[in-house]
Amino acid sequence: MKNSKLKRFLAVMSAAAIAATMTTACGKKEESEDTVKVGLLHSLTGSMAISEKSVRDAEVLAIEEINAAGGVNGKQIEYVEEDGASEPSTFATKAEKLVDSEGVSAIFGCWTSSSRKAVKPIVEEYDALLFYPVQYEGMESSSNIVYTGAAPNQQIVPAIDYLIEQGYKKFFLLGSDYVFPRTANMIINAQVSNAGLEVVGEEYADMEQTDFAAIIAKIEAAKPDVIINTLNGTGNVSFFKQMSEKNYTSKEYMTMSFSIAEEEVATIGSDILQGHLVSWNYYQTTDTEKNTEFVKAYKDKFGESRVTSDPAEAAYDAVYLWKAACEKADSFEVDDVIAAIESGDISFDAPEGTVKLNGENHHLVKPVRIGEVGSDGLINEIYSTDPVEPDPYLSTYDWAVKAGIQPLE
Amino acid sequence: MKFIKKQGGNICFALIVIVLALMPLFLNAGLLSGSSTVLFLGKCIAFAIVAIGLDLIWGYTGILSLGHGLYFALGGYAMAMYLKLQETGGNITDFMHIGGLTELPLMWKPFQYFPVTLIMIILVPSLVAYIIGYFIFKNRVKGVYFSIISQALTWAAYSIFIALSTYTNGNVGITEIKTVFGSIKGSAHRTEMFKLFYVALFILVLIYALAKFLVNRKFGKLLIAIRDGENRTYFSGYQVSRYKTFIYVLSAAIAGIAGAIFVNFNGSITPSQMTISYSITMVIWVAVGGRGTIIGAVIGAFLINLCEYNLSSGSMVEIWQYIIGAVFCITIIFFKGGIVGIVKEQLPALFHKLKGKKSSAETVKEAQ
Repeated sequence: MKNSKLKRFLAVMSAAAIAATMTTACGKKEESEDTVKVGLLHSLTGSMAISEKSVRDAEVLAIEEINAAGGVNGKQIEYVEEDGASEPSTFATKAEKLVDSEGVSAIFGCWTSSSRKAVKPIVEEYDALLFYPVQYEGMESSSNIVYTGAAPNQQIVPAIDYLIEQGYKKFFLLGSDYVFPRTANMIINAQVSNAGLEVVGEEYADMEQTDFAAIIAKIEAAKPDVIINTLNGTGNVSFFKQMSEKNYTSKEYMTMSFSIAEEEVATIGSDILQGHLVSWNYYQTTDTEKNTEFVKAYKDKFGESRVTSDPAEAAYDAVYLWKAACEKADSFEVDDVIAAIESGDISFDAPEGTVKLNGENHHLVKPVRIGEVGSDGLINEIYSTDPVEPDPYLSTYDWAVKAGIQPLE
Repeated sequence: MKFIKKQGGNICFALIVIVLALMPLFLNAGLLSGSSTVLFLGKCIAFAIVAIGLDLIWGYTGILSLGHGLYFALGGYAMAMYLKLQETGGNITDFMHIGGLTELPLMWKPFQYFPVTLIMIILVPSLVAYIIGYFIFKNRVKGVYFSIISQALTWAAYSIFIALSTYTNGNVGITEIKTVFGSIKGSAHRTEMFKLFYVALFILVLIYALAKFLVNRKFGKLLIAIRDGENRTYFSGYQVSRYKTFIYVLSAAIAGIAGAIFVNFNGSITPSQMTISYSITMVIWVAVGGRGTIIGAVIGAFLINLCEYNLSSGSMVEIWQYIIGAVFCITIIFFKGGIVGIVKEQLPALFHKLKGKKSSAETVKEAQ
């Protein structure tokens, strides 16, 4: 008796296994006539969830706005969400699931460079389309990716130019130990030495590092005029708290940060960050008509306490740019949409000002804004440039070419 | 009847293998909507292989390693380095170029050749495991102390891989690689994909057979003896530390093979595959499946990964981790033997009880 039960259970188990696989495969096959499917691929769990949530929310907001206004090419957008779980290989698996099993027309997703690098070969091999909404280290351009965040020459290079103009002479480079800070600092080193100025120190902290005593001691010994901060995530909180415990404010050590936006200011505390500098393309306070609407819509939907930030705005733009490209192509086929993108005629009247897609390298033409953290936790623009053409490889900058900051080939 | 009872695990494994083997046919018949499912099952095969290795040391020998991600990643990196050099044609990679290298570093040179790579996939994890195991087991470090050391070593290796970014590309890892059979993505490369899938499946069968072969003879009994009474085994005249080192090295080699298979299906490897949390996830597969049974490890690896894959999307996206967390907690608290334990012990006991209530003395006898 027992054995036949056992046998039956085994059969049930294997049937369940088959069923589980089949549901994955056949889950959402029915493609409706009047909807078009896109994928959202962000970390909703794990260490990156706190950052990526705001980006994902901005994408959902844009999709709902577009749907309310009649959709794209007469079709409503339907979004499929996948959780990347802050793990690059999960991002790769999920990207594959989205493009292959779900058949999405475009993916909006990723935040960290490692997740983007894991997804890149997938979208290239399946000939799919990824919209990547975060500023990054450059040195990349793929015909299957649209980069709506800043390239280094739209964030890092102008910020250093600004500091040089303001008379800062001794630079200290501090970053988390991963690809963005390392590449950023390589660029900054070349730029600073080209201007005849000096980098007095370069330090990297582990991603999870919370004790900055040794690094602060090195900063004290090096006596820089300004600290270029490319720390990411929790490192920022610890570093600035420990600086303020020593009563160092922006008067003693000015910092210029590339990864601190409105969200991070709220976590670290505006009393600590007040007066420090940051460099982005957009702030919540950016004074455009479009931005007033965007901030209002964002807060109405997700709560009064939420703030908009540069990555969130870039993600919002991404959805609208995809819409513009699909409308120009009058199609959702990836090849047609890419052709429309590469025509160089796609632009969007974004909260940061009108952004235009460069058809050659798939980056955006964006204005650069240097901001100062105010006592209310918002960032106020103190300097801005005209829209800057994207140059991910810095090939139009002589000093960068001379320093050999170019990838192979 | 007796045959099923005795061979239940093997029958179950055979069923899993048959189902897996049919998947590519389902795909061709149009029953599956995309090849991504097959590719994901390929990754699951790699997970099942590493789980078998873990079951050998934890379920049978009582060594709880919380750092097997290290060996998994070492095998994975070895494979990925070979595949990356295939892409670059043996030249240096872009991250080496950015790091200032002009020539292929020495540690990358062996990976230009496929046979050498195959040896390295097994040799590197084995060697690391041997050095660690030799000293730890010789000094009779065991229990939680071993677990803590295995975690610390994994953490150290993780930090080294990130710090040596010129050689390993830091936390981005090695990306943009194809497979040993070339590209497998898209419908144009189905044949290559199926080839890879069946090779992986064949390796799973081999590893399963090897594990079963080992545990079913005297050697397996010895491992269990070590688990249940290490001192007594010493007193019986066995060199316990040698056995432990051997099984630990074997388990590391199996993890390395699994990592190499994983890289082929995943198309990249990053240091996050050697984090502590990733290593603990592997232990959870074995725990949920049922340790000390081999088949439990396979079932656990497939079931949990399939659940994760299906749950972490759509409407469940916000809560999927709670669901999986709850399953773990319930298994660990109420069902120590995992899924296999439920089938083998709890369920029969339940039937027994129900039958007993019907008060048919005969059935009770029969069931016994």
